[in-house]
Amino acid sequence: MGQMLNFDNVELFYDHVYALKGVSIDLNEGETVALIGANGAGKSSILRAITGLRKIKSGRIDFMGERLDGTAPADIVRKGIAMVPEGRRVFPFMSVKDNLLMGAFTRSDKADIARTLDSILTRFPRLKERYNQQAGTLSGGEQQMMVIGRALMAKPRLLLLDEPSLGIAPKLVQDIARAIVAISRDEKVSVLLVEQNSRMALSISNRAYALSTGSVVLSGESKALMNDDRIKAAYLGGEV
Amino acid sequence: MEQILANGLYLGAQYALIALGLTLIFSLMNVLNFAHGQMYVMGGFVTYTVVAQFGLPFIVGLLASAVVLAVIGAVCERFLFRTVIKRSKREESTMLLAAGIAFFLDAVILLVFGEKQRGVPKIVDGVFNWDMRLIMPYDRILIGALAIAMVVGFILFMQYSRTGRAMRALAQDRMAAQLMGVDVDRYSMIGFALGAMLAGIVGGLLVTITGINLGMGGPTSVKAFLMIMIGGAGVISGAIAGGFILGMMESIGLTLLAAYGDVTYLAIFATLLVFLAIRPQGLMGKPWG
Ligand SMILES: Nc1ncnc2c1ncn2[C@@H]1O[C@H](COP(=O)(O)OP(=O)(O)OP(=O)(O)O)[C@@H](O)[C@H]1O
Ligand SMILES: [Mg+2]
Repeated sequence: MGQMLNFDNVELFYDHVYALKGVSIDLNEGETVALIGANGAGKSSILRAITGLRKIKSGRIDFMGERLDGTAPADIVRKGIAMVPEGRRVFPFMSVKDNLLMGAFTRSDKADIARTLDSILTRFPRLKERYNQQAGTLSGGEQQMMVIGRALMAKPRLLLLDEPSLGIAPKLVQDIARAIVAISRDEKVSVLLVEQNSRMALSISNRAYALSTGSVVLSGESKALMNDDRIKAAYLGGEV
Repeated sequence: MEQILANGLYLGAQYALIALGLTLIFSLMNVLNFAHGQMYVMGGFVTYTVVAQFGLPFIVGLLASAVVLAVIGAVCERFLFRTVIKRSKREESTMLLAAGIAFFLDAVILLVFGEKQRGVPKIVDGVFNWDMRLIMPYDRILIGALAIAMVVGFILFMQYSRTGRAMRALAQDRMAAQLMGVDVDRYSMIGFALGAMLAGIVGGLLVTITGINLGMGGPTSVKAFLMIMIGGAGVISGAIAGGFILGMMESIGLTLLAAYGDVTYLAIFATLLVFLAIRPQGLMGKPWG
């Protein structure tokens, strides 16, 4: 299990908001790592920094031994990183089919793309039923499955998921969680999972980092964190 | 009746192509291209030069118009709009820039092609006559058919090609499109080039029928904006609907209202004002579909 992603002492600003105050995280091949923390802790900012949507102020990011920060978002996708953004961000007036095909935008082998498409439709049969429907008319849960499928269409080595359980019926959260576990196992893809649903995130990840106002405050094996009193008090309290 | 429909269809197809270019640029970059009419005029003069001056076949002229305008569009995006958008967050900046480009192109056209009305010799002779119910010169039929074929071609391109899909994605969600690996700068440039190219092609098509002159730029831009206001800005179907509706209204107006003088556009503007008061987003106002 070699190191895949190294996010080293990164600082990130929005105009005058200090969003990441020297955050370091890493992720090994085959791992699922969770980022948990309250609203505004900086979880999404970490993903935006990795995908190049936001420039970092200082620190460095390496992926598969190559420097990542400073690379354009489109080229980062080509290196094997796909992201499911916060709020799903479907292409609302495009069909499910076209949304999924957009996921394979960086690939050119038609036969290979067709195979990936097939495996995604097998994994999420609901998408097959809605194949020619406009994505904007899908339910929240269906949209979430579609954008996960869309990200997988890129055949990524690292999958970034930003709050896949947000705004989804509790019953479907279970399905999504199971799908994430199955995907990381079957597709041999590493996963960096951002979640406010800490219980779910800790239950399906190998390791986790807890963030608070732009800094990592705790990290370790997810199993251990689940029994950690500080985590229980701060992130698991109230939830069942 | 048949005559009005046929004229409306012929005009509408040209208009739809113009509106498609304008709406493409708007949906991708949020830019209102006030220079669209001048790009149309430029296309007309390029075909005129190639066909009437150099004596080459019409299709060569049309291709030349397409290429020249695509290049002009690409240059405008790459060196003007892109820099302005990066530096200024205010929408007026790109509007001023577009207006500036319109004046600039007018000046260039005046300098290079002069102020005279220009036309090319008829590309096909003869008149189609169906019992006096429908009379249409063959060249109009040919130009109308070419325009309709191009509208269909454009729709198929946007719907089924990888590039077309990427442009639709970019128009619907810029950030998500980036995450799919779409290079925003590159596809904005392609979109702008394509939009300008469509304007140039219509100029090349219509120079064979109505000729072209320097003064047609501004009014053409106004018509193009009318069309996308009718149909809804940024929507393919809206641009096409707006184009055909304006074409039909003109055709009806010119036939039925001719007796009362030059009131067609007065009537169209009045109707549009009422329509926009009721439905400000246009017929199909929503992002691209
Ligand atoms: N576009 C932006 N402009 C200005 N400030 C921003 C922007 N995006 C985020 N911020 C600020 O940066 C900080 C970190 O935001 P971030 O989105 O990374 O948090 P998060 O942990 O993902 O929160 P949430 O759980 O609400 O999604 C917050 O204080 C937020 O208000
Ligand atoms: Mg977030």
